[in-house]
Amino acid sequence: MQEEQEFINQLLDSKTQNQAFQRLILDYQRPLYNHIRNIILNHDDTDDVLQNTFIKIFQHLKNFKGDSKLFSWMYRIATNEALTFIKQKSKRSGVSSETIQNKAIDNLEADVFFDGNEIQIKLQKAIALLPEKQRLVFKMKYFEELKYEAISEILGTSVGGLKASYHIAVKKIEAFVITN
Amino acid sequence: MKTFKLENEPKIEPGFKTPDHYFENFSIKMMKQLPVNEPKIISIFQKRKLLLMLTAAAILILALLIPILSPTKSNTKELDTVALENYITYQSNVNQYDLINGLETEDIEKINTSIVLEDETIEDHLSTNSNLENLILE
Repeated sequence: MQEEQEFINQLLDSKTQNQAFQRLILDYQRPLYNHIRNIILNHDDTDDVLQNTFIKIFQHLKNFKGDSKLFSWMYRIATNEALTFIKQKSKRSGVSSETIQNKAIDNLEADVFFDGNEIQIKLQKAIALLPEKQRLVFKMKYFEELKYEAISEILGTSVGGLKASYHIAVKKIEAFVITN
Repeated sequence: MKTFKLENEPKIEPGFKTPDHYFENFSIKMMKQLPVNEPKIISIFQKRKLLLMLTAAAILILALLIPILSPTKSNTKELDTVALENYITYQSNVNQYDLINGLETEDIEKINTSIVLEDETIEDHLSTNSNLENLILE
């Protein structure tokens, strides 16, 4: 914790800021990329959202109160950026967010940056049918293997609530795979 | 009956890939995009306003300090006439002989010239004064 505070101080000090921020990018670019990609599915859009996420992190570092871990705070920004991106895209296209998600899944087979098989695509289709909160919880727990405590800090939901959401999501996915 | 249990199946990976060297280049690309912290620029108008406020504050401070810096007590060593007269009148240990001893001949002559008495006034005074003999003796 003290080490994290020292790192935050380096990020806020104009003399050490650039070097510290470069370290932050190197440490978190992969987990944040995976988190955003799991929500958006497409690489190019993920790249844009990841850049916006780091810019937001850089701009708002001075407002970081330290109430939560730096990791959770950054994940929260990344989640909000990804969800906002989908909403804006659906607004621009005049279709619902679900339609945007389904279209992204349909495009996966032709995507050069996707090498999944039939079961992977089926899993994505099953996830797309879940409500937004269950979808997020499932992806963060199953794909990203985050602990419930960490997901709780990021999404602001109780651990008990998250466990229930994950359990329901798993049941729905299993039912979808069996019937399709 | 067909069954499918996620926890019994091998872990299903998302299957996403990235372009070659994507993460190697990302941090460099990202660092170039960071907004530069520019120094805050104060416009001329704001500077003038600041100067005006500082001047007003300085004047106010000086005005408040005037009573402290300039004492109201007079440092003069000269006695005013009224204070001197009061002293002589009410001090019991100063009598007419002390006054006479303090006067020079010139002073007495000046008093004589400034007081012009008519004969009638002198006569009246002498006729009503019971200590005439004492005065003659003195």
